Amino acid sequence: MSAFISNLPGKVTSLFAFTENPHLNGGQKLASKYFTVAMVLFLAQLLFGLLAAIQFIWPGFLFGWLDFSVNRMIHTNAMVVWLLYGFIGSVYWFLEEESGTEIAGLKFGVIGFYVLTIAVTLVVLVYLLIQTGPGKDASIWFINEGREYIEAPRWADIGIVVVMLIFFYNVAATFAKGRWSGVSGVLTLDLVALAGLYTAGMFYLTNITADQYWWWWVIHLWVEATWEVLVGCIMAWSLMHLLGARRKIVQTWLYIEVALMFGSGILGLGHHYFWIGTPDYWFSIGGFFSALEPIPLVAMVVHSVYDAGVHKFKATNHPAMAWIIAHTFGNFIGAGVWGFMQTLPQINLYTHGTQWSASHGHIAFFGAYATINIAFFYLAVQKWRGNVWMSGDLSDNGWKWKWSIALLNLGVLGMTVALLIAGYEQAFIERAMQGSTWNAYFAAQSHPWFREAMVWRTLFGLVTIGGLGLLIWDLLTIGKDEKRPALVLTDRE
Amino acid sequence: MSHQPPNWASEARWKKIAIWVTAGSFVLLIFLTFDTLSKTSVGGERVRAYSVINQEIDYRFDAQKNRYMPVIGKEAPLFGKVVTEAEAEQLVTLGKKTVQSKNCMNCHTLLGNGAYYAPDLTKSWLDPNWINPENRENLMLAFLKDPVGNARANASGRVMPNLGITDEEAHGIVAFLKWMSAIDTNGFPNNFKTINAKD
Amino acid sequence: MIEPVALNDFFITFMSAALIILFGAAYAGFYAWSKLRGKPKLMAWAILCYAALAGATFLLAQATHLNGEWRILVGLMLVGYLMAPMGIWKLCVGSHDD
Repeated sequence: MSAFISNLPGKVTSLFAFTENPHLNGGQKLASKYFTVAMVLFLAQLLFGLLAAIQFIWPGFLFGWLDFSVNRMIHTNAMVVWLLYGFIGSVYWFLEEESGTEIAGLKFGVIGFYVLTIAVTLVVLVYLLIQTGPGKDASIWFINEGREYIEAPRWADIGIVVVMLIFFYNVAATFAKGRWSGVSGVLTLDLVALAGLYTAGMFYLTNITADQYWWWWVIHLWVEATWEVLVGCIMAWSLMHLLGARRKIVQTWLYIEVALMFGSGILGLGHHYFWIGTPDYWFSIGGFFSALEPIPLVAMVVHSVYDAGVHKFKATNHPAMAWIIAHTFGNFIGAGVWGFMQTLPQINLYTHGTQWSASHGHIAFFGAYATINIAFFYLAVQKWRGNVWMSGDLSDNGWKWKWSIALLNLGVLGMTVALLIAGYEQAFIERAMQGSTWNAYFAAQSHPWFREAMVWRTLFGLVTIGGLGLLIWDLLTIGKDEKRPALVLTDRE
Repeated sequence: MSHQPPNWASEARWKKIAIWVTAGSFVLLIFLTFDTLSKTSVGGERVRAYSVINQEIDYRFDAQKNRYMPVIGKEAPLFGKVVTEAEAEQLVTLGKKTVQSKNCMNCHTLLGNGAYYAPDLTKSWLDPNWINPENRENLMLAFLKDPVGNARANASGRVMPNLGITDEEAHGIVAFLKWMSAIDTNGFPNNFKTINAKD
Repeated sequence: MIEPVALNDFFITFMSAALIILFGAAYAGFYAWSKLRGKPKLMAWAILCYAALAGATFLLAQATHLNGEWRILVGLMLVGYLMAPMGIWKLCVGSHDD
């Protein structure tokens, strides 16, 4: 037993020995570790989502063993964590190239990766095996904090902050040692905000109104502000490599995006403060910023048309480019259309806390974040193979990436529409007609529209899982036998 | 390289705009946060003192405000015992901690936030499902301690699992739910007919 | 103070809100395309899309009872959706300096 434990660190690190790849620099080797775990967690997200979806159809399924609450918690937590792993990995990936020097504390970065991964594993094991605890502080510290999306117990919160500080040190110190740029400046400041906001979710309050007030600081200001900007930085770097876009132009647009995102997103927080006990001036603030939030999103269509006209989509990596296009559409539909349909308080009174939110959540998270991570995985795998050709005419006609992008998008869109129908019915019957009592709730949950929607959601969930299976297969094999070097692009302007 | 972009489209200009917009929004948010937290502190008009559990609570339409409002009525002590503010806080805190430890929010919603597999708990203290106010507390305690045994048939077929909630914790949860039902949620949920409004 | 949407107006609320965003994107797309190719015919389509957007905004304002101070919001939306694509176009041309 003791021999097993003393051998454990070696065994764990040997799992990631494959990341020693001669084509990669130190940061990229570390990034590959993050990407690997991200894909595992992506798969976990979908599998636990499937279990939860099945429970909507057969409530007896795994009842008392893995209840809906456990499956749903792992479903959403795995999503948050795999997206973060993807973001951290992407930043480590381009850190050395962007700064022009080696990472300041790569050793700490590697240790941080293992600490974080072991912590995530322990948290999931406790979720699965212990699940709940007595109503004491100890449960909140060691089992489950019981607050949606940030259920991780407090010890893990502190661990996450420590690892984020290591990450932040590596980013800031590496840029300070090498060179700063517009992208790195925005990135560094955004990481300060991102880590700082997490601490807003790290204390206990009995006053549930204040509790949810701060909880939304973490959730909204991550997802609708700092994550958006982080992705903007990753996107800026990717576009310079993918399309050969010029730095000055990319950075100007990064600043424009920061102004628009933070200008509408920070006070857009108000649309979460309609019904939690907060004063009713939030109606005006939330309504105002929510109505204006889609305007930049819509106006950016102009930029896409302009870029398409100038670049004609000549790209060094077709799968990555296709996923970036999927990101543009997904973000527009998910955040724009699905967000705005239910955001004004006059209608949100009925849609708040129904399957409407689940519908919006599925398309918005996928469109805004999953797509960008997948695009980056393709950029990474191209370099991994020795910077090989990944534009048109791939060896097997690129059927795997084409089918996986089609299935993943179809699957998520199908789930979203199914949940939309369920949400519409729920808002109508439970909320508006029957006044939100428990009987009203169950009446709406048993309506044929709702039941059928849950079946369709599960079927489209299976399509999504099929798409992910193909994606994993493709990432493991694409470019393996490719001999041609990657297309070289220079900005012709 | 032809010429520089005009000033209003330059990188330097937009860097400044980005900084000012972000800082301005954040300063406004901080200001609003101070105001909101002072207006939602326990014991105020919006979030009542914990000892509100000593009183009757209802939820009715307010014609002047054009929305539903919590209504605090005559003395109606929970579990038949008037408690002090400190005792009430202790009880509600136990309830809130239990609600977190038992992961209630990953099936239920509270104030509309959480998961959508089980009913919203915002006004569950007032739900007509508890039949009449006299027996409500006992029904709630029994249900929390053995949700499988006390499951009421519903067409969805969903049942709350047994979570090992103790008698003490169940009392805390009921106190927490009663206290939460008195929070002024700006009229959410709308058109909710309480246990008192049957006739 | 808000006046919640009436039961009968649910569908129109969701529909008009979605149409505002979709027509907003169509307007922006046609506008940019027309500028890029120098085709005034496409600009007519852009104007048509904006007109549809304005119609949807009017429907949404009615269904969600955007009266009183909420009218400011309607005005801001109409102006915002009209002007923002023009501004972004100017920035595209300006920042690409050729």
